[in-house]
Amino acid sequence: MPGRIPRRVLLGATSLLAMPMAARAQSWPNGPIRIVVPFAPGGSTDLSARFLADGLTQRLGVSVIVENRPGAGATTGSQVVADAAPDGQTLVMSNIASHAISPTLYGNRVRYDPVRSFTHIAMVITNPSVWVVNKDSGINSLDDLVRMAKGKQGGLDMASSGAGSSNHLLIVRFCQQNGIDYTHVPFRGAGPAMQAVIAGQVPMMSDSLPSAAGHVRQGNVRAIAMSSAERHPSFPEVPTFKEQGFDLVSTSWFALSGPAGMPAPVVERLNRETREFVATPAAQTRFAELGGSAGDMTPQAFTDFVAAEVARWAPVVRASGATVN
Amino acid sequence: MRPNTKNLISGGIFILVAAIGLWLNTDHTLGSARRMGPGYMPMLSFGLLGALGAIVFLGGFFNGPDKLEKWTSLEVAAVPIGIVAFFVGYFLADASGLFTGWYPLGWGCLAGCLGLSIAPGWRPIGLVHAGLAVFGLMLEQMGLMLSITAMCIVASFGDTTHRVKGVIGMIIFLCVLCYLVFIYELDIRVPVWPVFLTQ
Amino acid sequence: MELLLTNLGHGMSVALSFENLLFCFIGCLIGTAIGVLPGIGPVATISLLLPITFGQPATTAIIMLAGIYYGAQYGGSTTAILLNLPGEVSSVVTTLEGYKMARRGRAGAALTIAAVGSFFAGSVATIFVAASGPLLTSVALSFGPADYFSLMLLGLIISAVLAQGSVVKAIAMVVLGVSLGLVGTDVQTGQQRFTFGIPELSDGIGFVTIAMGMFGIAEIILNLERPESRSVLTTKVESLWLTREEAMRAIPSVLRGTALGSVLGILPGGGAALSAFGSYMMERRLSKYKHEFGTGAIEGVAGPESANNAASQTSFIPLLTLGIPGNAVMALMVGALIIQGIQPGPRMVEAQPDLFWGLIASMWVGNLMLLIINLPMIGMWVKLLQVPYKFMYPAILTFCAIGVYSINNNVFDVYQMLAFGIFGYLCSKLKMEPAPLLIGFVLGPMMEEHLRRAMLLSRGDVMVFFERPISATLLGIGFIALLTMLLPNIRKKKDSALAE
Repeated sequence: MPGRIPRRVLLGATSLLAMPMAARAQSWPNGPIRIVVPFAPGGSTDLSARFLADGLTQRLGVSVIVENRPGAGATTGSQVVADAAPDGQTLVMSNIASHAISPTLYGNRVRYDPVRSFTHIAMVITNPSVWVVNKDSGINSLDDLVRMAKGKQGGLDMASSGAGSSNHLLIVRFCQQNGIDYTHVPFRGAGPAMQAVIAGQVPMMSDSLPSAAGHVRQGNVRAIAMSSAERHPSFPEVPTFKEQGFDLVSTSWFALSGPAGMPAPVVERLNRETREFVATPAAQTRFAELGGSAGDMTPQAFTDFVAAEVARWAPVVRASGATVN
Repeated sequence: MRPNTKNLISGGIFILVAAIGLWLNTDHTLGSARRMGPGYMPMLSFGLLGALGAIVFLGGFFNGPDKLEKWTSLEVAAVPIGIVAFFVGYFLADASGLFTGWYPLGWGCLAGCLGLSIAPGWRPIGLVHAGLAVFGLMLEQMGLMLSITAMCIVASFGDTTHRVKGVIGMIIFLCVLCYLVFIYELDIRVPVWPVFLTQ
Repeated sequence: MELLLTNLGHGMSVALSFENLLFCFIGCLIGTAIGVLPGIGPVATISLLLPITFGQPATTAIIMLAGIYYGAQYGGSTTAILLNLPGEVSSVVTTLEGYKMARRGRAGAALTIAAVGSFFAGSVATIFVAASGPLLTSVALSFGPADYFSLMLLGLIISAVLAQGSVVKAIAMVVLGVSLGLVGTDVQTGQQRFTFGIPELSDGIGFVTIAMGMFGIAEIILNLERPESRSVLTTKVESLWLTREEAMRAIPSVLRGTALGSVLGILPGGGAALSAFGSYMMERRLSKYKHEFGTGAIEGVAGPESANNAASQTSFIPLLTLGIPGNAVMALMVGALIIQGIQPGPRMVEAQPDLFWGLIASMWVGNLMLLIINLPMIGMWVKLLQVPYKFMYPAILTFCAIGVYSINNNVFDVYQMLAFGIFGYLCSKLKMEPAPLLIGFVLGPMMEEHLRRAMLLSRGDVMVFFERPISATLLGIGFIALLTMLLPNIRKKKDSALAE
């Protein structure tokens, strides 16, 4: 920060207040850009944000900094950005938790509207969920899973990375659709849940592909179903839910959004740079490694997507029994 | 009968916390032993706390004597004054409409700590904490440097041996040190200078 | 054995390359520095440095990050001993005897034994990781939720021994800590408990916030109230080195601590934290100088410090062999590796021998570096104590305030620390000890999680805790520990009653 202060003092004192919005947009980016990550460091949101920040720093010529503001199902950090000035200097790594599930889960505790309080800029990465089972569980397909669940009192134990997570809700949807009983076993994060599946304490879990990919590749666990519409290019041997006769498609997503009312030129520039960056071969290789796919959406398409996601998850959240109030 | 005042009070604190906890816990479903609800563990832990508190409290009548240090009458009076000042500060700041977020709480803490400090015996605790409250109130608007300065000035009144020159030197040293460590090296996200100057 | 030596030799050749050596050093240096600062933990630092590692070779990157991790452990003990500021759970134990030693003018000795003990423990644990890492994985996997619950319960019971005074009061403080740990989002249902609608509380109260308030800030006020006790802190600084007697006393403690830490470190979540005060309790039982505990017994520094450092080395085992991170720092390292295109897990030993053995060798190199960095600095740290306390306390206050703020970038945490400072002062006046409270606070949430999961999986059958051999053994030990703790108390009361 040193060295920049005098210039900023000057700017602030003389012209900034008088300048119209458009003129300010032309001078964007004006100093470092911060991307708020509404989770603690180390998770997949944090990682993808840092990866993106690194790429954007090189492309925009200003430093792009990641700031973690965890808490309350990713709503604390999102609220900070919803309240920030829409000048393109403060952005948020929006995701399925903060912008599709938590607004319903937390109800009136969330002051922002997931669609209207933000300018949705660009999709960064999407990834399906994968259902994995213990190697010795004798489960080889979703049919096996359903059969086993019906045979057990209280249903099958099904693990996820936490109550109200998208993976928990996927379990809820699956069991509702098929009328089976289940015992949801929530863990504090995907790591401990995966360990329990490997050790055989829980027969199966629903996990995001990035955190499960390595374990599937190394044969620690067996993948029985992928929640994407098509088979995943990195895991062509894992069938989708649809192929197995279960009508279920779900992807979790990490994206870039800012406060509502950002100037259009800034949004377009950010959208372009993000899409170009995630399309580079280097980024593609890393995303493939993680089991994700690079996003490619216009701001408008992404905004519509968020609205559709909120509407889609609301009834599932209510059915899941996960409550916050 | 050799009452142990410290145990009587601490037992009372345990029982009070347990009672409040159990009362708040009525909001949460207990669930069954198999599928424990959010209220199950609090019921166990606050219940146990209450029981242990009762043991400590009852034992306090016999295993003394262990008296508290003597309080002067001013010290006795300063405690309720501090508590009242906290609530007055909080509600005044809140009702004024000038402050949002955590500012009313900060004003409450500041008022409470200053209220406590009217008794000389409470000045270490009152003024050190008042310094923290000042730091919290100023940090995000006035920046790190002024906040450190103000906190150190307030906190240094907590010690009677401080002299003006020493305090000034110390503040300059701390500001430089914190700038180097937290801003230059660690680059933590906090305004360094007053926001109205830099924006 | 021969294969192990070959592998370690190969690892050494990787670790001793100029670049790796340099970044190992940088990592250790940064780690020590941030460990000394309250609130600024390795998690924040590593995430800050993560983008730098994108451009580095994977081995170099992970060696540096690992250096930060165990460097921070070293640095954390320094402030715990000198200023009564524990930055993490394991340093809470170090404050108990370490700060007392500092007040007796033996700060140099405490810091020296912490550094030397840690180095020894780290070296042994490194060999342990290299020799039996993959084998030990099965131990970690055989721990089910019921076993974890019993382990946590045992931990809570023995944490009452940390107290100097009444056992019942100490247990009540543990339970109070457990109750404070309930604040926040319930993991099982996502419901908010005891948050009073404050969103900042939905992730619970921060450990650092409580520790800084109840230890650091409360201690400032106590020192300000007793001007006479300050002079002890500043004038009486004796030799920096261990006396012969101190060294002889410390050696068995270091050995025991190393053994305990190496074993407990394997268990992800809580293993490392348990090891430090498990060792403290062991020393308090076994030492010939029991009466010195509470006034600065060197065993109480040597044992826990060794255990803590051994555990921080062996906690790499689940990461390296299963790809499962045991704590937040490990999670970040997994992230760094994945971004490099490397998946930690059982195949890493074969697929990435350079990285696997290089990291293990660098752990030892790093420990040696920490010793070299830290020993000469002990003199400087001890000199710091000679700064008049009236200049010292505003500095402590400033570092605590900035540190606590920087965790969540939220002033609410500063006000929380303020509240815990007042509560901590009250506690010390009422002889309610903060150490058991903090341990209850850390272990409580984990214990609840495992209890509920165990009951969920057993369909509500309590027998699961007694049928599983590991769990049953741990519960048995806990029961005996409780008895031995309460019996002397009862006997003492009887004796004193008779005497009247």
